[in-house]
Amino acid sequence: MADYKRGFIEGNWTTAIDVSDFIKKNYTPYTGDASFLLGTTSRTDRVKKRVDELIIEETKKGGVLNIDTEHVSSLLTYKPGYVIKGDDIILGLQTDEPLKRAVNPFAGYRNAVQACKAYGYEIGENIKNEFRYRTTHNTGVFRAYTDTMKKARHAGILTGLPDAYARGRIIGDYRRIALYGMDYLIEQRKADKVRIGQRDMSDETIRLLEDIERQIEFMLQLVTMAKEYGCDISRPAENAYEAIQWLYFGYLGAVKEQNGAANSIGRISAFIDIYIERDIKEGTLDEQGAQELIDDLVLKMRLVRHLRTPEYNDLFAGDPVWVTCSLAGMCEDGRTMVTKTCYRFLQTLYNLGPSAEPNITVLWAQELPQNFKDFCAKVSIDTDSIQYENDDVMRKDFGDDYAIACCVSAMKTGKQMQFFGARCNLAKVLLMALNGGREEAHGDQIAPEGKVFDEKPLVYDEVIEAFKTYASWMAKLYVNTMNVIHYMHDKYAYERLMMSLHDVEPERLMAFGISGLSVLADSLSAIKYARVTPIKDENGLIVDFKTEGDFPKYGNDDERADSIAKWITEFFYGELCKTKTYRNARHTLSILTITSNVVYGKKTGSTPDGRRAGEPFAPGANPMHGRDCEGALASLNSVAKLDYACCMDGISNTFSITPEALGTDEDNRVENLTNVLDGYFLQKAHHLNVNVLNRQKLIDAMNDPSLYPTLTIRVSGYAVNFNKLTRDKQLEVIARTFHETM
Amino acid sequence: MNGYIHSFESMAAVDGEGLRYAVFLSGCPLRCIYCHNPDTWKGEGMAFSPEELLKKVIAYKPYFKNNGGVTFSGGEPLLQAEFIAECVELLREKNINYAIDTSGATELNDAVKYVLINAQTVLLDLKFPDNDSYIKYTGKGIENVLKTLDFLEKNNVPTRIRTVVIPGINDSEEKLLKYLVHINNKECVYRYELLPFHTMGFFKYEKLGLDNPLKDTMPLDMNVRDRLQKFVNSKLAKGIDI
Repeated sequence: MADYKRGFIEGNWTTAIDVSDFIKKNYTPYTGDASFLLGTTSRTDRVKKRVDELIIEETKKGGVLNIDTEHVSSLLTYKPGYVIKGDDIILGLQTDEPLKRAVNPFAGYRNAVQACKAYGYEIGENIKNEFRYRTTHNTGVFRAYTDTMKKARHAGILTGLPDAYARGRIIGDYRRIALYGMDYLIEQRKADKVRIGQRDMSDETIRLLEDIERQIEFMLQLVTMAKEYGCDISRPAENAYEAIQWLYFGYLGAVKEQNGAANSIGRISAFIDIYIERDIKEGTLDEQGAQELIDDLVLKMRLVRHLRTPEYNDLFAGDPVWVTCSLAGMCEDGRTMVTKTCYRFLQTLYNLGPSAEPNITVLWAQELPQNFKDFCAKVSIDTDSIQYENDDVMRKDFGDDYAIACCVSAMKTGKQMQFFGARCNLAKVLLMALNGGREEAHGDQIAPEGKVFDEKPLVYDEVIEAFKTYASWMAKLYVNTMNVIHYMHDKYAYERLMMSLHDVEPERLMAFGISGLSVLADSLSAIKYARVTPIKDENGLIVDFKTEGDFPKYGNDDERADSIAKWITEFFYGELCKTKTYRNARHTLSILTITSNVVYGKKTGSTPDGRRAGEPFAPGANPMHGRDCEGALASLNSVAKLDYACCMDGISNTFSITPEALGTDEDNRVENLTNVLDGYFLQKAHHLNVNVLNRQKLIDAMNDPSLYPTLTIRVSGYAVNFNKLTRDKQLEVIARTFHETM
Repeated sequence: MNGYIHSFESMAAVDGEGLRYAVFLSGCPLRCIYCHNPDTWKGEGMAFSPEELLKKVIAYKPYFKNNGGVTFSGGEPLLQAEFIAECVELLREKNINYAIDTSGATELNDAVKYVLINAQTVLLDLKFPDNDSYIKYTGKGIENVLKTLDFLEKNNVPTRIRTVVIPGINDSEEKLLKYLVHINNKECVYRYELLPFHTMGFFKYEKLGLDNPLKDTMPLDMNVRDRLQKFVNSKLAKGIDI
């Protein structure tokens, strides 16, 4: 029998499931530069070329290449699939062909039918028959929803709820498969069941016992799935290739079973690096081979697809999977967790070209090696494909083996899971408060009836009192709605495989969200510092506002407005915490909208800040576009003031800058960008998307300014906000940039 | 005393070393025909005490690191040199450096000298090579500019010279050679930058109801700028950082 542990330092991980201990005992921090990195092999080029062709074909066909309408997606439903059989190193596709989508109706049957129909397909008889007698998550939720929940959902106050599709955001600890092999993991889970079976049979104990049995069923299926690809994952991985392959099988099984909104892969770089280092030491792998393994894994991640309705794609601007891959960070003992494999993942953006997937997330810390910071900045400038999150802030709560799910949601790998909770449109809550509980677009009475404000200048303290009353009511409704959703998801669409790769009783987080933060903050600031008079329609409904005079706006590092934004998050989080959650989950909150800020804006009437009905919100925690007039760092400083302690599910900020504004040459831009990141994160800010924009992005920005709200055009000593330029001016800038790059 | 400020730019990465917090002071003695900030000509603006200004600046210290800091620009910042001098005292206490982005058109009074000597960097415009062109295109002569440059040289103040290259006016090697005469023997000059004329300030003329003498001029082609920059670099004496 092979000695899987050869060369590894033993520790707690050898007697219990403790991947973090294994990593800390065995990984090699790397503080050198990027000069060791290598390009692609001819094999990688061949597979990459095939993948590119497939993606072009997929786009030509309107976004979906093919759908398997005969099978219900699961681990053993499809025959093995390959990109190029013989050339693939890391094996395994969701279905039997690359980019062919699976039908997964467990979370919502109607959605699956509509998605097929939208692309010209019809669900096969097999699936129809099976789901005729099966309750989906969606059906369960709507059985239990109260009328008020339905109304709040319909009005778009509670929005993006995972009640018709799978909740996602759960990260299995796929590394466990490679380190321990499935036999050991199954054995451990059986032992868990014996131990838990000693307890009195409460609801929770019974649920847990059933959960465990469901997990074991899928663990066994995963072994069979891997066997069909000729791999024996019942035992631990022997080398780097197997380690990557084994953990990828875990991920693949998860995306076959589940079609959640975000399917992230976790924090795998230091883990993989340990195996690569051992193989290199043993002379069985060289740098070219190591890069080729990572390139192939990343290509596989880029092929993950779920079948969505066109409406879903509109909401999220495309077809995202959020295969978030967390890199770097610091170890709690003070060593950096940067390894050569962090560099190898970043290198895929050169070897395979820039891409949204996997969603490369650098866990930034002040103490990261300068070489690594500089390389990240360079890759950001060249590819715009990296997001940054503050490890110094997250490490305090999540330790040093957490990973990011989706965009900004931290969780301890294998030890915490999340109940995804979408978001509450707080700008609409303000309008509802002014209208005595009626919704501004249709006039429906949603919340209990209260005082309707008169057509007289609004008094700040009165508005705040009304807002607090309604936000508090909404928070309670929101938590209860979420409880219904996750009760039903556990019941009808439980993540058997992903949860089998967690501790048996993980901590649960319930992640709530706010949309419209900047609109609400500016609206309250307008009411406080300017003169805002409501305007009513013939039915006595406030549908507009007259706002006279200037007022401080969030995004200018102005305490008067920023403190309002900060207060909103703290207040709302406090209100959410007052209502008990399903399975005693810990309440968390995010300020994140991804791209759905446009849709939320569409559903929201005119607001006191001067935003017209239907106009988009700013994304996430960003200041409203065009209102931050003191430049990029002032805008960053405003966002940095929001307190992570009450927004532990993440505070998303998108930062866009032109190369010319960032610096005079490449070295200067790299230095400036690392200084921006250090300065922002030193102030305990949480997240930053960095865009150093090329021509294509300028065109996108022109067509939809909300995509890049802080885009600055700098022309030697002079700066303008791109969104403030007229279309003609924008065209001029675009033409010039195009000219330069030709 | 209070300073009068037109606006702030919290991220000015190309107006000095590192990341810079730019303070645009109001008022300018010149009326350059190619000015992209005509809204700063008049001396009115937001009143700030040095302490109030420091409070704003200090919020950006996390970004400054080793070489970033404040850049006083305008308008013509040295019109308010006494105000800047008071700010300099406060910045020094907080260990924050500053740069001056000036036309050099002001008299070298004591406050101006003090502010220039203590700057980390001075960005000095050399708009035209001779007195006649200066008068023709800016409304004032070259004398103060050259005096300022001499002063910087005598006091070893790290200096960047900047020239805006305008199509049809100074966009040729022949014209630019004349500028170099003033620069190539100066030890204090560590960089000579050519800035391309652009049209993104044109809307301000319309907004202010001002006549824009260059309204028909096209932006300078960046390839031309790069070629001219290479040319002046090659002509400059040794020791000048290109």
